[in-house]
Amino acid sequence: MKRTDFYWLRLVGTGLWFLVFGLVTFVLGFMVLPLIRLVTPNRQRRMLRSRAVLGAGMRSFIHGVSDLRFIEYEFIGREKLGRPGQLIVANHPTLIDVCFLLGFVPTASCIVKAGHFRNLITRGAVIGAAYIPNAPTEEMIHAAEAALQAGETLLMFPEGTRTVPGRPLTMQRGAANVALRAARVLTPVYISCEPSTLSKNLPWYRIPPSRPKWTLRVGDDIDLAAYRGVPLPIASRRLHSDLAGLFGGATQVRD
Amino acid sequence: MKSREEIFQTVRTALIELFELEAPTVVPEARFDDDLEIDSIDAVDLIDHLSRIFDRRVSPRDFRSVRTVQDLIDTIERLQPQ
Repeated sequence: MKRTDFYWLRLVGTGLWFLVFGLVTFVLGFMVLPLIRLVTPNRQRRMLRSRAVLGAGMRSFIHGVSDLRFIEYEFIGREKLGRPGQLIVANHPTLIDVCFLLGFVPTASCIVKAGHFRNLITRGAVIGAAYIPNAPTEEMIHAAEAALQAGETLLMFPEGTRTVPGRPLTMQRGAANVALRAARVLTPVYISCEPSTLSKNLPWYRIPPSRPKWTLRVGDDIDLAAYRGVPLPIASRRLHSDLAGLFGGATQVRD
Repeated sequence: MKSREEIFQTVRTALIELFELEAPTVVPEARFDDDLEIDSIDAVDLIDHLSRIFDRRVSPRDFRSVRTVQDLIDTIERLQPQ
């Protein structure tokens, strides 16, 4: 396919953005968030301030790359996100999905890869914002439950990792389980990126031939009452299978 | 203090109710992962459920080495107040 939309500029730019992103994350995690920690003794306020700072960082990143025409994006129904006790579940086609969601819903907590709590660059940030590691399972479930019960908004990518292009979307049952344990409202967000880029198993420099466009569409709330009345493991299997159907139908996975 | 037999009956009832298992499959030797198809998320639900019944606060760490129904019974017995 023909390389368009200033291919070489986009390639060099993408490399630069990765560098800046890592650097900013590190500076926020190891200088800004510790400072916030020093001046904010109250746990709750410290967490919200830290999330506000990280959210602003991610929002600026998205604005930066889209203002400079590296990407385009459309976020439909954003105002439906960020309610107290809301569990947001989203599919995960690309590396920067989280930047859209936490950038525009900065009060939210998020289940993140446990490895980010060990990685030197991301460690300070995820600890500062009190995000929740995805392992071990029982600690993740109980922490997610506590966050929702405390009225926080929580973001989960039920696939656990990015979708492997060309393979059907596979989800973990944790999201359905957490939803039924503690969510006041469950809201799906369908993400697609066209042409596909920054997906699993693809290095950053394999940029698409034309400028990629992200579309994030907030779906209707899922009625949890319909799943009550049976024991949790049975209910969570039903909800899980419905969620898998919803996301399988709403997202097309391409090579 | 409950006897081993009482604990076994409670665990068995819980497994049948929560996971719609057939009663004859729930034997002490049954392995959770292979025989009963109970994964790590189910295990969290099961432990939460049992800790409510036995009215004990438990740490998931106590259950890390549990592989079979018998292991679970032994662990619950050990956690009971003496």
